[in-house]
Amino acid sequence: MAKAPQVQIQPSVFASVAFLKIHDFGRRPVVEQARLRAQLEAAVAVVLQDLKEDARIVLDAADGIALVVLDDPRAALALAGRALAAGAAGLPLSIGINHGAVKQSGKGKHEGLLGDGIAVAAAIAELAGPKKLLVTREFRDALEDAAPGAEAALAGAGTHTDASLRAHALYRHEPRGAARRGARYAAAAAVAVIALAGAGVAFRVSIEGFDRYAARMEAQAMQAVARLRGEAPAAAPPPLQRAAKRRSR
Amino acid sequence: MAKKKDIRIGRYRILDELGRGAMGVVYRAEDPSLDRIVALKTISLSDADEDRKAYEKRFMLEAKAAGKLTHPNIVTIFDYGEEEDVAYMAMELLEGEDLRARIRKGDIPPMEAVEIALQIADGLGFAHEFGVVHRDIKPGNIMLLERGAVKIMDFGIARMRHADASKTSTGMVLGTPRYMSPEQIGGQPVDQRSDIFSLGTVLYEMLTQTSLFAGQDVNQIAHSVANTEPAPPSHAHPELPQMLDFIVARALKKDPSVRYQDAYEMAADLRDVLAEMRGRAPSRDRGDEHDKTQTLRFDAAAEKLPVAPAANAIARETRLPLSRVFDSDAALGRVEARGKRERFTLPPKRVGLFRRIWQDRLPRRLLVAALLAAGLGVLIASS
Repeated sequence: MAKAPQVQIQPSVFASVAFLKIHDFGRRPVVEQARLRAQLEAAVAVVLQDLKEDARIVLDAADGIALVVLDDPRAALALAGRALAAGAAGLPLSIGINHGAVKQSGKGKHEGLLGDGIAVAAAIAELAGPKKLLVTREFRDALEDAAPGAEAALAGAGTHTDASLRAHALYRHEPRGAARRGARYAAAAAVAVIALAGAGVAFRVSIEGFDRYAARMEAQAMQAVARLRGEAPAAAPPPLQRAAKRRSR
Repeated sequence: MAKKKDIRIGRYRILDELGRGAMGVVYRAEDPSLDRIVALKTISLSDADEDRKAYEKRFMLEAKAAGKLTHPNIVTIFDYGEEEDVAYMAMELLEGEDLRARIRKGDIPPMEAVEIALQIADGLGFAHEFGVVHRDIKPGNIMLLERGAVKIMDFGIARMRHADASKTSTGMVLGTPRYMSPEQIGGQPVDQRSDIFSLGTVLYEMLTQTSLFAGQDVNQIAHSVANTEPAPPSHAHPELPQMLDFIVARALKKDPSVRYQDAYEMAADLRDVLAEMRGRAPSRDRGDEHDKTQTLRFDAAAEKLPVAPAANAIARETRLPLSRVFDSDAALGRVEARGKRERFTLPPKRVGLFRRIWQDRLPRRLLVAALLAAGLGVLIASS
C-alpha cells in the first residue's frame, strides 16, 4: 500500500511582536519614505544592540519593521521604548506590541513569519498614533507571567476596535507606574502595621482597662529609660497607685 | 489567375488579419484616401437591439475621447465608425512586440522595466487628464517599439465596454483579473487610480518575472487581488533600489485613497529612481514565468468576494518576510528551536496569589510587613 506523504507542519510559538510603524507612511512622497525607512533601520540597529541576536527576529513590513522577541516580553517593551526615544528626532513612529502565535512561512527569498501575533501588533500600531506605544491585553498577560509586577508599567487605555473590526483591550506604557505601585504598597504596609499593632493594644486595653494599661506601659518605658542611662531601675509603683497619683495632679 | 476579393470595412481595405481576441479582430488595412496603412480594430456589436444602441452610443463617446489623445506613449486613433454589425477603429500600425511577449522572454533589465513603466505612466497621466480611464492595462496592451518607445494600446474599446462603472448593466465585470485593481474586480466604480494599480502589477511583473496575483481560476485571482500583500521586488532581486519597493508598494495599495492619486506623481517617482539606477551597473534578471493574459468576462454579482474584514486584515498583515538587513535565513531556525519546547508553544499562564507573592517583590514585602505587624500585635496582646 502506498504510504501517504508526510506533511511537515511548522510549529507555532508564542512570541512578543513589537510593530514599529512609520505613521502615515503610505501618504508620504516616495523620497521621504526612503529617508524615513533609512532612519528607522538606523534606529532599530541601535536598539537591537541590547538584545541577544538569538532572542529576536526582524521582519520587514511595507510601512515599518516588526521585531519578534522570542523569550522575554520585558525585552520587547524595553526595546520598543528605546525605539520610540531613538526615533523622536523626526521619525514619526507608532508602536504596537502584541503577544501571540507566530509561525515560519514561505520559502527561499520570501521566508518569513506569519500569525496573529504579527497581525494584531500591526493593527495596534495603526491605532497608536504618532510617537505613541500601545500594547494588547495578551502582551500585558505575558509580561505579568514572565515577571509578575512588571505589568505595573502599563496603564489601561480602553478598548479599541481596529480597521478589521476586532476589539482590543489596550494599555499604554506608563514608566512611572512601577514607582506609583511601590508607593501604594508602602502605604498598605504601613496601614497593616498600624492596624495589627493597634489591634494588639486594643486587646490589652479591653482586658486591663485603659488606665492600668497606660500606667504599665509608662512604668515599662521608665524602666527601659533607666536601663539605658545605666541607673538602677526604681521599683515601679503598682499601676493603679500611679494612675491615682496622676489623677490627683 | 483569380483576383483576390477586395474586403472593405468602412473605407478601409482589409489587407490581412493581425490578431484575434475575445472582443474582436484586428486587421492590417489600407486607407485608400490617404494611402496609409493602419491597424483596424473591429468589435462585433450585440444582436440585441437595446444592447446594440447602448454599445453604439458608448463606442462613439469613447472613441471620440480616445481620438483626442495624441501623445507619444498612446497609440494614435485616426478614425472610427461602424458598418452593419461591426464597429471599427482605425489606429496607427505599430511595429514591435508587446510587453507580454517580452516578459515571456524574461530579458527585461530592471532599468528598462522602470523606463517602460515611466512611459506608461506618462501616457496614462495624459489620458487621465482627458478623463479617459484605460481599465485594461496589462502587458498585452503595451507595445514596445524600436528605440525604446512604449505605446499604450486599446484605449477606447476597453472604456466603451465598461461605460461609467466597471460593471455593465447586467452585472458583468470586464477586464483582465490578474491586472485589475481591487475596486475593479469587486465591481465598484473605478477611476484613474485603478489604472495606477494595474501599472503597479505590470511593473512588479517586469521586475520579478512573476505574476503578482496568481490563481487557478478567476475566484482565486480575485481573492488574491483583494488580499495578497506583495513582497517588495527587492526581496527577489536585492540589487533593486529600495525606493522602487516603495513605488511598487504605493501603486499597489488596496485602498485607492492611499495609492498614487495621479499617474504623473508615479512618473515623477519613477524618474527619480531611474536617475538613481543610472548610477549603478545594469543587471539582468531572468525567469521563465510565463503568463496567459486574456480579457475575461465574469459575473461580478455571482462571484462577489465574501466580506470578512478580520480575515482579510490578518491575511494582509500577518505574513512578513525576514529583514535581510538584520537577519539571515538562519534566523528562522530560532522559531523552530523554540517550537520544540513546550513553554514557548503555550499562551501565558495566569499568575496566582502564591506565585505573585513568591516572584513579585512588593507583595512579598507587604506580606512580611503584615506578618511582623501581626507578630507584634500578638506580642502586645499577650504581654
